[in-house]
Amino acid sequence: MNLETVAVNTAPPAQVTSRLWGIGLFLLLVLFAIAVPLLWQVDIAKQDYTAILSGPAEAHPLGTDHLGRDMLARLAAAVRLSLGLALVSVMTAAVPGVLLGVVAAWKGGAVDKLLGLLSEMFLALPGLLLVLLIVAIFPGSFLALYGAVSLVLWIEYFRMTRALSRTVLASPAVSASRLLGFGPLYIIRRHLWPELSPVLMTIAAFGAASAIMAIAALGFISVGVRPPTAELGLMITELLPYYAEAPIVIALPILVILLIILSLMLIAGGRKR
Amino acid sequence: MTPLLRTEALEIRTAEHQLVEPLSIELHSGKALTIIGETGSGKSLFAQGVVGNLPAGLHAHGKIYFGSGFSEDGLACGRHKLWGREIAVLPQEPWLSLDPTMRACAQVIETYTHIGGRTTSDARRQAQADMHQLGLVGAENKYPFQLSGGMAQRLAFAATHAGGAPVIIADEPTKGLDRARIGEVIALLKAGLASGGGLLIITHDIEVARRLGGDVMIMVKGKVVEAGPADKVLNYPQHDYTQSLMAADPACWPARPFQNRSGEPVVSISSLSSIRGDRTLFQGLSFDVRPGEIVGVTGPSGCGKSTLGDIILGLAAAQTGTLQRKTGVPRTAFQKLYQDPVAAFPTSVTLGRNLADLVRLHRLDSSRIPVLMKRLRLEPVLLERYPTNVSGGELQRFSLLRVLMLDPVFIFADEPSSRLDLITQREMIELLVEAADERATAVLLVSHDEALINAVSDQRIRLTAPDERTQYARSEPRQSAIAPNG
Amino acid sequence: MTRLLAFRFLQAVMVALLVGALTFLLMSLLPGDAAYRIAAGRYGYDMVSTAAAEAVRAELGLDQPVIWRFLAWIGDLATLDLGHSLVSGKPVMEAVAHELGSSIRLAIGAVALSFVMGPPLGVMAGLRPGSVFDRCLLLLTTVTRAVPHFVLGVVLVIVFAVSLGLVPSAGHGTLAHTVLPTLTLALGLAAVSSRVARDATIDVAASAYYGFGRLKGLSSFSLFTRHGLRNIGVPVVTYLGVQLVYLIEGVVVVETLFAWPGIGHGLVHAIVQRDVPMVQGTALAMGLMFVVLNTLVDLANHWIDPRGRKV
Repeated sequence: MNLETVAVNTAPPAQVTSRLWGIGLFLLLVLFAIAVPLLWQVDIAKQDYTAILSGPAEAHPLGTDHLGRDMLARLAAAVRLSLGLALVSVMTAAVPGVLLGVVAAWKGGAVDKLLGLLSEMFLALPGLLLVLLIVAIFPGSFLALYGAVSLVLWIEYFRMTRALSRTVLASPAVSASRLLGFGPLYIIRRHLWPELSPVLMTIAAFGAASAIMAIAALGFISVGVRPPTAELGLMITELLPYYAEAPIVIALPILVILLIILSLMLIAGGRKR
Repeated sequence: MTPLLRTEALEIRTAEHQLVEPLSIELHSGKALTIIGETGSGKSLFAQGVVGNLPAGLHAHGKIYFGSGFSEDGLACGRHKLWGREIAVLPQEPWLSLDPTMRACAQVIETYTHIGGRTTSDARRQAQADMHQLGLVGAENKYPFQLSGGMAQRLAFAATHAGGAPVIIADEPTKGLDRARIGEVIALLKAGLASGGGLLIITHDIEVARRLGGDVMIMVKGKVVEAGPADKVLNYPQHDYTQSLMAADPACWPARPFQNRSGEPVVSISSLSSIRGDRTLFQGLSFDVRPGEIVGVTGPSGCGKSTLGDIILGLAAAQTGTLQRKTGVPRTAFQKLYQDPVAAFPTSVTLGRNLADLVRLHRLDSSRIPVLMKRLRLEPVLLERYPTNVSGGELQRFSLLRVLMLDPVFIFADEPSSRLDLITQREMIELLVEAADERATAVLLVSHDEALINAVSDQRIRLTAPDERTQYARSEPRQSAIAPNG
Repeated sequence: MTRLLAFRFLQAVMVALLVGALTFLLMSLLPGDAAYRIAAGRYGYDMVSTAAAEAVRAELGLDQPVIWRFLAWIGDLATLDLGHSLVSGKPVMEAVAHELGSSIRLAIGAVALSFVMGPPLGVMAGLRPGSVFDRCLLLLTTVTRAVPHFVLGVVLVIVFAVSLGLVPSAGHGTLAHTVLPTLTLALGLAAVSSRVARDATIDVAASAYYGFGRLKGLSSFSLFTRHGLRNIGVPVVTYLGVQLVYLIEGVVVVETLFAWPGIGHGLVHAIVQRDVPMVQGTALAMGLMFVVLNTLVDLANHWIDPRGRKV
């Protein structure tokens, strides 16, 4: 027994438990988004003039908005939109980001410099500004919104992958494997991937969180998706004037967006940003 | 004469276990007490128990007496007030122990003003005098990152010493230093002793104990097995452990019998040179490595020892010169042993998985694994472990096994034992030499330890420290002192 | 140092190119006759005639291939000729300069306020990690970070302006108007900087030099003031650079929410009204503000951390 190792702190990793909480919360939100349209088939644009800004009731379990639209159906649709768009963007951004990052680290030299410069160029503008400009060019287009968000998100994958791969590829372990005759595929499978995968999880969760915040922020300033689409930011803007009459109705989208971001932050883990 | 520091049955323990058995020591003015032990023997814990800065969860029990008359129970923490005044602790890694954002001189001045209670101008004068004395002239306004390792060591010494504490405690102050730097540290410590201080030093380096003299204690697994005057214990060890420890000192190894190496060279080098940045590491280097030959390479840190090996393996490029590797053998017949074995294995798979990958890749005979494991004294259970859960000595032997599976003709061993304790080091090097002899594998053994290289090599390469300023002015090769070991 | 400034300069050029390219695209995709619109932008709607539009067409070479038009567009940008607003007809430079002033006031106020709140709390938590205070702060900062700016702003408006009636919810002019927008931005920044300060405090307290300072015999107080504060400050300032993205994004949203007549508000308005010269001017100003703030953080870093200085 090594006496010095006895002193090593054996506190339970708080990160693991908070990550589990995050995943649990996230799954509940996904379940909400999927289950509601199956069990509660109400059109999100259908107006019920008998119930405007009503509180929770039998006909509308979560109440109605200022146009008498059902909040439960609208919230579920908004969560579906936010999560769906965020997940698709995160996935789309991950593939080129990771691949280019590995290529840059592996090849080095001019390829690395060029790709680095490309990522610096996108970083010159704050992400939301870039998204805002692109969305301005193609107003109301889902595809543009999705493309713009992905365009911002790939950089973080690229930078992290490049930095990590550089260290891993320069490590004695990789040089030992190469000397032993192992090829690139082995090095990726046994050396790179085990180091990259946990970090990618964190980047994906942060990326999803910032994508959802960006979409909501654009909705809020009326530049993103157009009414009558149910979108969390847009809903908050629309309901803000009616706060005094129906505080609960505006509290709902606020609570939902808070829960989504919170779950993603918990998944991503405590540190960073 | 009352001792400067005395412990009475001081033991270190957690709530459940005893880590260091009750130990009584006395520190006297002008005399060193050295506790020698391997990694994990508990020697550092004992020193921390004396000082009173044990990690959370560990406690010291017993009594401590100071020369000033202060005494207390090991559990108490009244001696925190004596830090810097009565008892000074020399940091283990001086570079990390200096405030990175504070200028050098200020770090000495603050000891004078805050602990010595002097006025600012007085402290400044005194600090400047100290730095002058320690050869730190011109470094007053530098930041720690601008200092060399040796300068940082002296600065940390000045900052510690300024408090005027009579007792100095030094925990592995020579860890990771090369010979020249170790000499500097010993000179500093001796100067402290000469001015009437007492010294408790913790080390794994027998040479340090020998040069400091005084008393030594040999600690194994939290227990002192032998104690007495340094020259007696180190020259005439009584206890089995001490004897094997002394025998493991490379200076005591039997010399390798001379053998005439013939046969076509495995590696042939002529007028090789390497430049890193604006420094020439070496130039005009020429030598052959023949089958079964052990070529020892020594030199101070930063002289390009490891670069030489990497050039032979094709991991680094040489600037000029030619390099001829034996033809007709696969590239995988040239292998490397790394300084830090943990860093040389993928951490995500078990050792067994790693070997299985290798066997499958090269269609090797897996029945050789148990034979080799036995030969290298490795337990089969290790195959199920991850590299981080294996001791350094075992993992280094395991990397030797991994390399031997490929029947190499040449192995570059880059300081393969520098992170191992003495006894483990001897075992590792012996096995490496035996394996090389059995298969007529050539070995390029790089080490900072002259004695070790002296003991095992057939041919020696000594590299000298590159001199940044005069390098380009010289036309003739300034090194390549090649001396066959006879 | 020069390397650093050169990099930031390059970044500024990239901002200009990117903004120029995107607004050019925006311009080209607008319906209607571009020459007519540009003429209107230059001379105002009242002055536009077919002849003027034709003059513009010839001058800008709108009948030329796209690449030439693009180069001309970027050339105007390079000479800081931003043209006139398509809506108000006023010179873009004038409007932008005015808006930029109020945005910078907001941003600086927010950063200053966040520094008063965040790092002190973080250091307090970091000195006693795991304590009740630390846990409470963790909870508070985690929730605050999970709230997008506009939601935070909305909540603050609801609580302080609508329910309590303490401060006005929107507008500009008096000090009371600046309270909520500044607080909204500052809270988000402070949530992060307090975490950074907390982690830095723990790292510093566990560092070899901190332990050495203690062993040298320094009292807890002098140890903290002499070796703690400055070293904790290094990551806090470095992190401010990362937070600038958050700040700039926040400016867009918060100004829109509080009708603060700044650059973010101007940008959103210009986009909604499809006023291309204004979009270009405001986006450019925001991008450049981002670069300048980044440079300031670099300089602060350079000043506080000697390790970054090349000797």
